[in-house]
Amino acid sequence: MAHSTSELMVCAGARELRDGMLAVVGLGIPQVAAALAALTHAPGLRVLNEIGVVDPRPVEFGVGNADPRHWYRAQAFSSFVGIMGTVLHRGLVDIGFLGALEVDPYGNANATEVRAEGRRGIRRFGGGGGANDVASLAKRTIIIVRHEPRRLVEKVRHITNPGFLSGGRSREAAGLRGGGPLRVLTDKCVFGFEETTRRLRLVSIHPGVTDGELRAATGFDLRIPAGTPRTPAPTERELQLIRSVVDPERRYTTAF
Amino acid sequence: MAESKVRTIEEAAALVRDGDHLALSGFACARNATAFSHALIRRGARELVLSQCVLGLDADLLVGAGAVRRVIYGGGSLDRFGQLQRVNEAIEQGSIEFEYLSSLAVAFRYLAGALGLPFMPIKSMLGSDLLARQREIAPETVRELDDPFTGERLLLLRALEPDVAVVQAQVADGEGNARVFGPRWENSEAAGAAKRVIVVCEELVPTETLREMPELTVIPGIRVDAVVPLRWGAHPTSLYRRYDHDAEHLRLYVAKDRTQRGFDEYLREYVLDTGTHEGYLASVGGVERLAGLTADPVKGY
Repeated sequence: MAHSTSELMVCAGARELRDGMLAVVGLGIPQVAAALAALTHAPGLRVLNEIGVVDPRPVEFGVGNADPRHWYRAQAFSSFVGIMGTVLHRGLVDIGFLGALEVDPYGNANATEVRAEGRRGIRRFGGGGGANDVASLAKRTIIIVRHEPRRLVEKVRHITNPGFLSGGRSREAAGLRGGGPLRVLTDKCVFGFEETTRRLRLVSIHPGVTDGELRAATGFDLRIPAGTPRTPAPTERELQLIRSVVDPERRYTTAF
Repeated sequence: MAESKVRTIEEAAALVRDGDHLALSGFACARNATAFSHALIRRGARELVLSQCVLGLDADLLVGAGAVRRVIYGGGSLDRFGQLQRVNEAIEQGSIEFEYLSSLAVAFRYLAGALGLPFMPIKSMLGSDLLARQREIAPETVRELDDPFTGERLLLLRALEPDVAVVQAQVADGEGNARVFGPRWENSEAAGAAKRVIVVCEELVPTETLREMPELTVIPGIRVDAVVPLRWGAHPTSLYRRYDHDAEHLRLYVAKDRTQRGFDEYLREYVLDTGTHEGYLASVGGVERLAGLTADPVKGY
């Protein structure tokens, strides 16, 4: 069955989530990936929402974290201190799955502001909210970003969410407890990190993406090792679940 | 029997003085104390400091109306309806000061204030530009310290003690005991840290009713100074188990909010010229239209 790029990203994201994990996931593809994982290999995945919602079972998409549609049939309602404090700050969140405006080769992410196009100055966005807390404290994080030269850059404009900072042991030296980014997921490839330098390295390239396209879309120098595997295509079952159960309105899975 | 703290929204707004630090109630487009922001704007509040983990419509209205000097926040938006364009533009243009932290950092600063502690250690923000900028903007609020017991690096956050906290609740009594249904984000900590607390409630009930299930009381009345019973006080944001957000009105707001001029038109039509909360409700279609937003009792929205 033919699939969209966002469906491929959903499946690639879902495969990084394990059964029994406690996860904080952003809206859109991360949320859809978590729902798919829970329906397939990770029925015990538990999703937390920063404002104080534990393991909701939404039956429709809402407009954001604060929309009660996203809280439907939760196990518990709590607070920032109750969830981000006693669970995340306590070190119990296994994985955070976050979007970003810009990402650098050490997985540092900007969720705050970009240079304004066509006018001087900057353009502010909504800000990270709890994203810095998740990036600082979760055992690992997955970052999702659109693969464009202005988004995958050598240096991000603002480190909202710390990755491996300047690489090596600099993250630990800054006093950060959480393990840092595990993957950077784009619409062209999946990145992991080198063990010692903590710089991005290719894990897989999405089907149909050429080396030239990948280089042209990346704003920093990218090494493409010979024999880099292709990201596995979604299975028939995964596509059926996405289209009939997880995102039947196709709100997040037609285009990225 | 204790003296009633029931006030009108105008009387409660008068408890906020120009220059005060006000902790807001909402999160994006949920449970904002919108009517309270309207009342502050109508009385011409100025030079306010606003704090909130995630800013929403209530903050954008106050900033757009020129009532704000500084915001202390972790993020802010109207969710998928759009950005807080008055807040963002004011920051872009440097017309307001801002302390931009992580949401948990804002909550921890309230927690320190609520506990009467001078500061709270946190393990977020380290290594980030949030911290680098906060050191420049408000150096008196952050300090790095090695834990005297283990040597581990900690960030210390200065306590926040707002002059006033406003909490939009579903149910309260005349003494200010308030039930907040749904997630409570930072409301308890902000109210605990504040010098004065104002509760705006959809429904006022006798204290005897709350005594039947006191475990549902989230804000204890002993800390509350004023209670304002007001229907649709959070509109156009949602009030869980009572009413849904008003998507149509939020879309209208976001479209107007693109420019200061559009915002000013919105403010005149829906806040200033309407004069009162009742006038505002009439301007957005009246209670008959609003009844269509009433929450499904099972789903809560």
